Amino acid sequence: KERRRGRGRYGGRKCGRGHKGERQRGNRPRLGFEGGQTPFYLAIPKYGFNEGHSLRRQYQPLSLQRLQYLIDLGRVDPTQPIDLTQLTNARGVTVQPLKRDYGVQLVEEGADIFSAKVNIEVQRASELAIATIEKNGGVVTTSFYDPRSLEILCKPVVFFLRGQPIPKRMLPPEDLVRYYTDARNRGYLADPSKVAEARLELAKKYGYVLPDITKDELFKMLSARKDPRQIFFGLAPGWIVNMADKKILKPTDERLLKYYSS
Amino acid sequence: MRAAGMPSLISKAPGSTDRWSVLLSPRWCPFQARRHQHLPDSLRTARGLTSLLPSILQQPARTLTYCSLRNGKRKTVKAVVDRFLRLHNGLWVRRKAGYKKKLWKKSAAQKKRLRELVLCTRTQCKLLDKMTTSFWKRRNWYVDDPYQKYHDRTNLRV
Repeated sequence: KERRRGRGRYGGRKCGRGHKGERQRGNRPRLGFEGGQTPFYLAIPKYGFNEGHSLRRQYQPLSLQRLQYLIDLGRVDPTQPIDLTQLTNARGVTVQPLKRDYGVQLVEEGADIFSAKVNIEVQRASELAIATIEKNGGVVTTSFYDPRSLEILCKPVVFFLRGQPIPKRMLPPEDLVRYYTDARNRGYLADPSKVAEARLELAKKYGYVLPDITKDELFKMLSARKDPRQIFFGLAPGWIVNMADKKILKPTDERLLKYYSS
Repeated sequence: MRAAGMPSLISKAPGSTDRWSVLLSPRWCPFQARRHQHLPDSLRTARGLTSLLPSILQQPARTLTYCSLRNGKRKTVKAVVDRFLRLHNGLWVRRKAGYKKKLWKKSAAQKKRLRELVLCTRTQCKLLDKMTTSFWKRRNWYVDDPYQKYHDRTNLRV
């Protein structure tokens, strides 16, 4: 038996609105209303699941598999120190400083297939990831970037076009100082001798022979590290980069020099 | 003429200009007011707004704003954000109602059941998704997140 048609645009007859009542008359109550009974979303007690979510730090994960993929495709150059700027330019990771991202963290996914000698600088790294990179003869450093420096690091050209001098990178807050002064995390504020000890300990723990990087031909590149107040390799705080004229302006006033070198 | 310092619980006729002393009108509001409905125009004209108890003026507005006045954007219902946690796989986590009330009369097993965190049903999840904007559905990579491993489903057979 055929279905009776209402005809007309929008279906005709009742136009898909149902029969009488609030539905047809367009007077349905707001979403979540349950006829006066305490609605479900109000009957549940409050609990601090999302409390302080906008103050919690987030770190975008970077797996070793992804890093190996980028190096193999040639998007990231292992002969130069790998920085967050290099990763962002290669579109390997996308960091959003405005969403409380404080940088990138190394994740162990792909540790067994990783085989690249790199000098990498991230914001957090897990123990196994550090061990894998050092086993292949690389160097890992964890450093802190405050949100403003992180934004500049991720989008350097946009910052240079603003015409402002490169700011000093701020030191980590209280709760992170302990993390970045620990040699086991390869923090940038840790003692270099303790870092060397920690490398040996990690080699013993995971059972591999630690390759001697001092005898490597890329040793100079592998040992290149940034100053705690520096954002870019090769550029110091206080300098202005002129993109149009391809020039760098450095401050000469002694008060400015004193401020930027402190 | 009413006595100068006598607050009345009955709401006054709009447009009246009686002034109560500010000390007698309570400053607290009994409701967990997230957003307050605007005053009707007739009351706005009266300068002496302390004539009505604030508890009657400030009522919580539980509507979902589909298109905001200022930015034309959808707004989140803050009541949902305070009570629930969205996992990235689409499930919502909640506490059981009454987990801190009248515990003296509840058995140990009952208390344990109430302390557990529970997932919401499919219709409830759909409702909560409609009440929140896409910001609450983004993937978050917090440091030491206790719910980190629950954001992804494993071995799910459809």
